[in-house]
Amino acid sequence: MDFILHVPVIGLLLQFIGYLVGVMTTNGSLIITLSTPIALGALCGFMNERSGVVNIGIEGMMLFAAFVGWYVAALVNGGAPTSPGPLGITFPLLVGLLAAIVAGVAVSALHAWLSITVRANQIISGTIINIEALAITGYLNLLISQNPIPSAGNFQSFHVPQGVASVPVLGWLLTTFLGHGPITLTMLVLVIVLQILLFRSRWGLRTRAAGEHPRAAETLGIDVIRLRYRNVLLGGVLAGLAGAWFTLEYIGTFQGGMTNGRGFIALAALIFGRWTPIGAFGAALVFGIADALGQAVSFNPPSGDLGAVLSGVPEQVFSALPYLVTIIVLAGVVGRSIPPAADGQPYEREAKAT
Amino acid sequence: MRKHRYALGATFAALAIVLLAACQGNTGGSQSGGATSNLKIGLVTDVGTLDDHNFNQFSWEGAKAGAQAIGAAAPQSVVTTQSADYAKNINSFVSKNYNIIVTVGFALGSDTTKAAKANPNIKFIGVDQGICVDAQGNPDSTFACKGDAATLLPNYQGLVFKEQQPGYLAGVVAALISKSGHIAAIGGTATVPAVPNYMIGYLNGAKSVKADIKVELKYISAAPDAKAFNDPPGGKQAADGLLNANPDIDVLFQVAGKTGNGVLQSACEHNIHAIGVDVDQFVSTPDTAKCTVVSAEKKLKKAVSDAIQRVKDKKDKGGTITLDITTDSVGLSPFHDSASMITPDIQAKIDAAIKGLKDGSIKACVETPFGSCDNKNGQPPA
Repeated sequence: MDFILHVPVIGLLLQFIGYLVGVMTTNGSLIITLSTPIALGALCGFMNERSGVVNIGIEGMMLFAAFVGWYVAALVNGGAPTSPGPLGITFPLLVGLLAAIVAGVAVSALHAWLSITVRANQIISGTIINIEALAITGYLNLLISQNPIPSAGNFQSFHVPQGVASVPVLGWLLTTFLGHGPITLTMLVLVIVLQILLFRSRWGLRTRAAGEHPRAAETLGIDVIRLRYRNVLLGGVLAGLAGAWFTLEYIGTFQGGMTNGRGFIALAALIFGRWTPIGAFGAALVFGIADALGQAVSFNPPSGDLGAVLSGVPEQVFSALPYLVTIIVLAGVVGRSIPPAADGQPYEREAKAT
Repeated sequence: MRKHRYALGATFAALAIVLLAACQGNTGGSQSGGATSNLKIGLVTDVGTLDDHNFNQFSWEGAKAGAQAIGAAAPQSVVTTQSADYAKNINSFVSKNYNIIVTVGFALGSDTTKAAKANPNIKFIGVDQGICVDAQGNPDSTFACKGDAATLLPNYQGLVFKEQQPGYLAGVVAALISKSGHIAAIGGTATVPAVPNYMIGYLNGAKSVKADIKVELKYISAAPDAKAFNDPPGGKQAADGLLNANPDIDVLFQVAGKTGNGVLQSACEHNIHAIGVDVDQFVSTPDTAKCTVVSAEKKLKKAVSDAIQRVKDKKDKGGTITLDITTDSVGLSPFHDSASMITPDIQAKIDAAIKGLKDGSIKACVETPFGSCDNKNGQPPA
């Protein structure tokens, strides 16, 4: 790699920035689509952790919801073709989506009971959920695949009318941010709504209080246990949506372990995004851009010096970049990321006088 | 607090029962009518799952079919979740005195070789494993392969397929049904020989019928990891990216296991033709059947089942067994709903290619001494 020294570094950097912008422009819509499970997973973690419950079981919750949503939709569909409405919405898909959400909430209820009522170790609870979800869905899918049933299809992306899409800049913005299926569009709305609610609503204030100093919150009349339950269950709705994205929106069929670690990336995004919805979404985009960059370098390498340099970089480096940044953020080098003070601590009411 | 401990314990116990029940379901013995055998058969998968509708699953079905054919109890399986666990998973069967251990995938070759050397009384069957040992029978990382595997490890059958041959035929089909003259293949990783074998064969097959055709060969991952073979959304992302950048591509061949099932999904949504891999994906992945024209197959189930039968008949020999088109161990699947696209003219060209591959007048690629495509002299991966 000693030839790098002979190439003007500044020029190379400018070329790289140009290339990166090109990658982001052409793949913008895809990056946002792929950020959906990570952003929704991070929002699930956000709901949990802001109120003081650590949730590392997001991966398992997503996988379980993905399976249940897919299977219920396929059962309701029964192999009969249904004419889809706008965004490819059909009755079986809606039922499947609902089932995925119920599944997410059900697994969350287990997590809530273990971590809030039983006051078990929350890391262990999350680990159990991850392992069980992989095993149970994999096994059930193996049984189903003996007599495969046709899937109910998947939601379709919104198509920006050709006339509008061809307008410079505006057309790109609209297709990039609106050219998605219903779950991705819901994610975009939820990120903004939750951000506002966290800092501007009574619920947000109470949630933050329960996550920072539950005892103080309790003395002010907040029922911390109830609040935590509610938040963890609502987080289950988000994990359910994330799971539904896999089987009802992007892929349209289920396969064992198909979440492939995205629930863990969601955790990293939550930390990277400093436990805020907008931050987590931004982090999910950074992960997506790094991924797209790595793929672009191997699929359509740039020409000239930059191409020579980039093709010398193993593509794992690009995938590893966001994690390196997460470590740097955690270490406090570039603005510290501090978790809620009571995150992971089971809350015990003051003992009643006995 | 005490009560809560019990509650947690009860939860664990309940979950354990669920899991146990799940495992039980898997092992329910299915004795066949005639022959019986008390051979115990175990199978270790590569990273992935038994329900991949593909490589692991059909090897597993081969093990089940083989067990049934010889009248043995239904086989057991261990699904590998991390490549670091290969040796551990193989040894879990060794320690339980299994008689036949099937390991699935090129990546398990080294650990299978070690286990075969350490346990001469256990029969090993390695799918996609060309056996390469030094003079002492140890795995040879230099690939000099000086040792004679057949005599050093007579208990180890390595099954290797000439993927370049079905790949070549897939390329012939792709070039002939392409209207734009621009086709593509997406592979999991170039570091597993089976993948570039398929893809280089595909390239050469396409060029053989249309010399000026543009063929994109892309690899998703630089390592044989979950991203390469176990990530449908990642596969769809890769294919979406490729097809958005090259809207004129109208045939897409997937060589990426379960990741590739996302590739098929993308092809369907872009309304282009797809070609499946390893097994007849029109049947195995029905959700993308509507755009799956044909699949480049290797007959995994039969190969594994036959190898088990050879052990039972005491006809098994050690060493690498190369399975190719002359025994119909590889080939094209039926065209199913796409049969109408295959005009008599196209069919004639496919038949000519099959004939040439069988009699040796056509080489699917420049081969290394081990039967794989030579990446350097053939076509470079990507």
